[in-house]
Amino acid sequence: MPPVGTLQTRGLRKSYGDVVAVEALDIDVAAGTVLGFLGPNGAGKTTVIRMLSTVLTPDAGSFTVAGIPHTHPDGVRRHLGVLPESAGYPNGQTGEEWLTFHGRLFGRSRPDARSVARRLLDRVGLAEQGRSRIATYSRGMRQRLGIARALVNDPAVVFLDEPTLGLDPSGQLQILELVARIAREQGVTVLLSTHLLAEVEQVCDRVLILNHGQVVADGTVAEVVRRAASARRGVVEVAPRLRDRALELLKAEQLDVAAAGDDRHGQIQLTVSGGTPVDRAATVALTCLLRADIPVLGFSIEGGRLSDAFLAVTGGGTDG
Amino acid sequence: MAEPRTSTESRSSTAWLVIAEQELRDLWLAGRGLLLMFAYSVLLSVTSYLVATNQALNFLERRESVTLTLQVAVAVSGLLVLLGSADAVSGERERGTLETLLLTPASRQSLVVGKGTAALSLWVVSIALSVPYLWFIGRGVGVVAEAVVSGFIVSGLLALFLSGLGLLISTVSSTNRVSLSVSLFVLLALYAPTQLASIGVAGTAGDVLLRLDPFTGGLDYLNKLLVGGHSAGQDIGVLIPTLVAAAVFPVAALATASRLTLLTRERS
Repeated sequence: MPPVGTLQTRGLRKSYGDVVAVEALDIDVAAGTVLGFLGPNGAGKTTVIRMLSTVLTPDAGSFTVAGIPHTHPDGVRRHLGVLPESAGYPNGQTGEEWLTFHGRLFGRSRPDARSVARRLLDRVGLAEQGRSRIATYSRGMRQRLGIARALVNDPAVVFLDEPTLGLDPSGQLQILELVARIAREQGVTVLLSTHLLAEVEQVCDRVLILNHGQVVADGTVAEVVRRAASARRGVVEVAPRLRDRALELLKAEQLDVAAAGDDRHGQIQLTVSGGTPVDRAATVALTCLLRADIPVLGFSIEGGRLSDAFLAVTGGGTDG
Repeated sequence: MAEPRTSTESRSSTAWLVIAEQELRDLWLAGRGLLLMFAYSVLLSVTSYLVATNQALNFLERRESVTLTLQVAVAVSGLLVLLGSADAVSGERERGTLETLLLTPASRQSLVVGKGTAALSLWVVSIALSVPYLWFIGRGVGVVAEAVVSGFIVSGLLALFLSGLGLLISTVSSTNRVSLSVSLFVLLALYAPTQLASIGVAGTAGDVLLRLDPFTGGLDYLNKLLVGGHSAGQDIGVLIPTLVAAAVFPVAALATASRLTLLTRERS
């Protein structure tokens, strides 16, 4: 039996009529991993999450969650916490009532469920609003309540499907910090489906990119970026009055450089070709400038981020 | 990681109670149940007033008045149960709260049984509310106890039938509007034969229709018992469609519940 906290799928497939949503999906996630589950809209992320949470039945394939096979759906659900995409909430109930109700559905006694509800409300920053009706909650508060509900059964694996959807940047940051804290403090395996690629780079140990129902990239952020989006350009910024001298020095080092932007900015574009990594060329360039006492005011590498890798492996697909 | 606290079996056996309790709280404390009962009471008050102020009532007509009031109570309590059941699953689906419920270890059947139990509470309360009205109209005739007992049994059978029907429709309906529309249409279709009976339906087809309709059977049985003065067992055959429907539809609703889904094809 796999260790508790693992998630494993083999040949998972789901179609809606003639449309194949997920095709031959094989995933292995180790315990305690925070997995960024990425893909453009329609890639099949929610379908995968719904299959793994036993809400949808796969057409083919198998999976285990925390070592429980998909043939025991109630066992899978017992070890799983899920924040569904666009989850609805009962407006007439208070946050505490709702969490207590769900705690009891997971087999907790009423006092235990209430105690857990209060602890979780405190944990997600809703302790003061726990006895207010959910109708009065903002979208961010509802998302935090949904995360609390996903933790009501002390799950081994947590699926968070677009937890930051519709939130402002401040709300997004709060939710992602909460996710990171939960993963760190509880040691649960988290599968985080989101479009916030910059935040995924910070929070996730590993990313998996899905496109048209198939895995197109899998690994750590660095691995995925290296494989899918090797950087080809960098920009060095020096004082405008020193730009011409800097260009001469860099050209003398056999680097492919050119002035970038207008004369008011001292930007120099560095382009690499062949098999030369951009970071090696950048090291040469920066060393050269510093030796010549030309202060480097800024430096950036273009095309070396997760968003570049995402666009590369999904064919620029941002259809939602 | 915390270990599961109770066995799956014990969860399954109590999940429906947890769901029923929450549904009852939502129904009766959130105000919808009380509002429905207020409207029901107003309807019974108007009905009672109309029959009680009829100056031409004699002994037999008073029995008819009790029966008429009881039939209204039975029919409307059935309508309330149907409305409550028809909202049960499709309402959760429409509000986006169904998926969260499906993510718990509670079985689909527990969900449906819990919600059906809450819907049946509308029947219990509405029939209890009708007792004072029946007593007021039937006082001195000696028919009240018989009306209450027979009304409780017949309305109970119809409530079981209609809760099963409502849950069945709700489980397979993608929206609440569809579920409620179909349920009301079916109820009207069931109620129509009772009106055809009053104007006389000619022919074999009409007779078969009347004999097969659980609604007509139930109301006809009350009429024979209370107005006709028949014994309880004398016309039990009239109740057979009602009995069958009360047994079959809840079972069908449970069977359908095992395949309860979100009914969504959204891909993302």
